[in-house]
Amino acid sequence: LIIVSHCVSVLGCGPHYQHAIEEFCLAKFKLDMHELDQRHWCNWEDTVELYGELTNCTYLVAVKMGCFWPNQLVDEFFIHVHRHYFHDCSLSGRLLRDPPNRILGPFIVVPILVTLLMTALVVWRSKRSEGIV
Amino acid sequence: MAIVGHALSIASLLISLAIFFYFRSLSCQRITLHKNLFCSYVLNSALTIMYLAGVVNDPELVRRNPVGCKVLHFFHMYMFGCTYFWMLCEGIYLHTLIVVAVFAEEQHLHWYYLLGWGFPLVPASIHAVARKTYFDDNCWMSAETQLLYAIHGPIVAALLVNLFFLLNIIRVLVTKLRDTHRAESNMYMKAVRATLILVPLLGIQFVILPWRPENRLAGEVYEYVMHVLMHYQGLLVATIFCFFNGEVQAALKRQWMQYKMQWGQRRKDHCSMRSTSYTATSITEVPAFMYHHDCNSEHLNGRHTDDSELVALKTGETYA
Repeated sequence: LIIVSHCVSVLGCGPHYQHAIEEFCLAKFKLDMHELDQRHWCNWEDTVELYGELTNCTYLVAVKMGCFWPNQLVDEFFIHVHRHYFHDCSLSGRLLRDPPNRILGPFIVVPILVTLLMTALVVWRSKRSEGIV
Repeated sequence: MAIVGHALSIASLLISLAIFFYFRSLSCQRITLHKNLFCSYVLNSALTIMYLAGVVNDPELVRRNPVGCKVLHFFHMYMFGCTYFWMLCEGIYLHTLIVVAVFAEEQHLHWYYLLGWGFPLVPASIHAVARKTYFDDNCWMSAETQLLYAIHGPIVAALLVNLFFLLNIIRVLVTKLRDTHRAESNMYMKAVRATLILVPLLGIQFVILPWRPENRLAGEVYEYVMHVLMHYQGLLVATIFCFFNGEVQAALKRQWMQYKMQWGQRRKDHCSMRSTSYTATSITEVPAFMYHHDCNSEHLNGRHTDDSELVALKTGETYA
């Protein structure tokens, strides 16, 4: 009996499981991601909830079918999802955005100040070269 | 469309440079600054065309993201700064000449070369470092980042300083020098007028860029005006500083008269009208010198002169 139930669960965690998570979990995930603008797919804040739902969904299906979770099929499934949706995200995992103001500020103010200083220097030097101090 | 504007700019600037190099009599320090300004505009337009045609129109290259396109962007930003800083050099030169030293002797141009060619490397480098560290998108193409203000900020500062200098010159010319140095102040008023027209034209794109009108017709007008102001700058500069310059026009007319006389002379060589054609040449030469030569006044050292004395001095200088 134990062997039989094992056999059933092993069978259940095969292609049947894969089909189930693709139909129930991936379809909803696809819909949600398409609603989101493609440029925001790499933005973790926008996608964390959807990703969490997908993970949860695969877990529930596994529990329902008596499979062990996580398993190799789930790993392959997620590799497939990553390859399709997250393949060109930058290493930090963030959408490109400007640094905070306390970093951006000096990068803008310093060139302006240097420009004004340099202009004053040139005016002063050309005054000096006339022999007028 | 932008490429057309830049191509026209390059053509007109090269013609102006040819005029300045060919007519040696026009040469003086202010014209030297003009030549450098025109060179920076030619290089700026060339780099813009390279960037627009080579990078912006080629999504495959942007996707590959080679280092070369970021280097090109860096040089593009550098030349963009150069053009504005050479305008600033023109303003500082006029200011030193008129307000500080009152038409005195020649200045040393080394510091101007440093400000015009050397200094724009600083904002361009700061922008490159900031972009690489914080906003390293493909080919640095995105214009959505505020890090671009690292370049636009100094440029606007340079334009404002330039405007301040030019207005100060006008103030000095109108109030203090009008009584004592009338002839020179008239001449310099013309020189300053050209620069004073150009500086707001160059700067206005930074002021009105954020304010695109909602109305459709006004929006179209806005687009055309901004397009002209941004991409035809070289043409504007060449026109105002060279083609509309009285001295350049006089030199060109003189040259044209000489050619006409030479053709006329060759055709009538067999006739006995040689003596009359010689006198005709000298008669057409004289009126050209009635134009105020806004460069040669540097040699006058602010003496009290009126118009007739000025003409006599200039003819004496050239024929001596």
